[in-house]
Amino acid sequence: MQAEEFHDTIRPGLIAMLPRLQRFADLLVGARKEGTALLRRALLLMLAEEHRYQRGTALDRWAFAEIYRLWLAELRDHADPMRQARADGASFAQLFHNKRGRKVDEFTASFLRSLPPQQRLTLLLCYAERFDHIDAGRVLDVPPETIGARLVRISASLADRLSERECGTATATVEALYSERPA
Amino acid sequence: MTELSDELLVAYVDGQLARKQTQAVERVLEQDDVIAKRVVALKHAHSRLETAFEAILAGEEEDAASKPPAIPPGLYISWPTLAKSALASAGLVLAFILMLAGFGWPLQAPEFSLESSVPADPDYVGALPSTWQEDAARAHALFSRASVEVGLESQGNADLVAFQLAQAIGPNLVVPDLAPQGFRFMRAQLLRSGEATPLAQLLYLGKRGAPLALYAQAGEGTAAPAFKQYGSIGGVAWSQSGLAYLLAGEADEASLMKLANAIRTEKGASAKAPSAFSPLPPPPKPKPKPRS
Repeated sequence: MQAEEFHDTIRPGLIAMLPRLQRFADLLVGARKEGTALLRRALLLMLAEEHRYQRGTALDRWAFAEIYRLWLAELRDHADPMRQARADGASFAQLFHNKRGRKVDEFTASFLRSLPPQQRLTLLLCYAERFDHIDAGRVLDVPPETIGARLVRISASLADRLSERECGTATATVEALYSERPA
Repeated sequence: MTELSDELLVAYVDGQLARKQTQAVERVLEQDDVIAKRVVALKHAHSRLETAFEAILAGEEEDAASKPPAIPPGLYISWPTLAKSALASAGLVLAFILMLAGFGWPLQAPEFSLESSVPADPDYVGALPSTWQEDAARAHALFSRASVEVGLESQGNADLVAFQLAQAIGPNLVVPDLAPQGFRFMRAQLLRSGEATPLAQLLYLGKRGAPLALYAQAGEGTAAPAFKQYGSIGGVAWSQSGLAYLLAGEADEASLMKLANAIRTEKGASAKAPSAFSPLPPPPKPKPKPRS
């Protein structure tokens, strides 16, 4: 599926997409409160620099990419990016709660929380937003092959953990953040 | 034991394989317990991931349904503010048109004209790359018949106009006579392309319709006329004799090409062309040799 939100001016389009953008920002930083703050900063930036949006570009893809770009820029500007606090388990699990009480089991939530943000967003874009690998790659500034490789690695990693759990072993491999290469 | 990569097995679980490939994998699964267990684990993992993101999606939909999307503080523009901005913009546009009417020709204020005669820049349309011909075409859209009909006395002297333009653009620039084609020369002015490169604009008016403009700028090389459409405005661009030209107007390709060819081949234009301005006195004529 292709990204398909097209608008002449970005403001009404952004307002219509706020829930999706909120979800994207939440999952990126791993907690609702910080996600809302990131989204607010990104929206202000997008509206202030509206001229950078080229008509004909899918607005959702552009907006997601802008949020991701801002997050990455802030990460790079951080004095010690490796020591940034990771969202606690309770805050992260809250992202999967809804009013019907439907939520993700703790094992899966814990696995998702252990993933690097880039891999979480890959899952979000492909499984929830239903973007194809090309559009997801454009948002996350990686080749489509990397998106495919990430999905395989994530599924394989979760499968490994599930198998280990069934075998009674508790150890698991946490994926490295910066070692991704297309398969 | 058969070895199948996780990539292949995940594609199988995701239903992304062709039918024959799927059947081949299924045959392996029937014979290989290890691979079969791996596929079960991958299916389980895939199912959990999909469920997780469906839960997120469901939660977001409920949030969206229960409350209208909040507009972040500081982003809202009230109607009165919007109206004031619109009035201010209209005032700026009107002031610009009046300025054009008052200072339409650089003879009256050459320095000022060189510094500030660039027309207001309309919203950039992504389809238009920013070359000077296209900048000029966008600027051309600001002119209407009324703005050209406000003539100035100084514009009446075509020789003087040609002299001033040649001084700024180059000695080969002439003011084409398009009367045989039904267009009367109205006025000319110097615009600016880029930082400081002078750009001449010669405006003509036919018996009806929008004005026709010939833009000229110093350039190199020779290029044959080529037509391009800029929104509602058509343009023919070419280069010759050290000058680059753009003929722009709300006309079709055939009409503009015909006019462009007439300008290029205009007979006698060179004879009427003023010589370039030079601060130096003309060189002395050689004295005739005394006859011995």
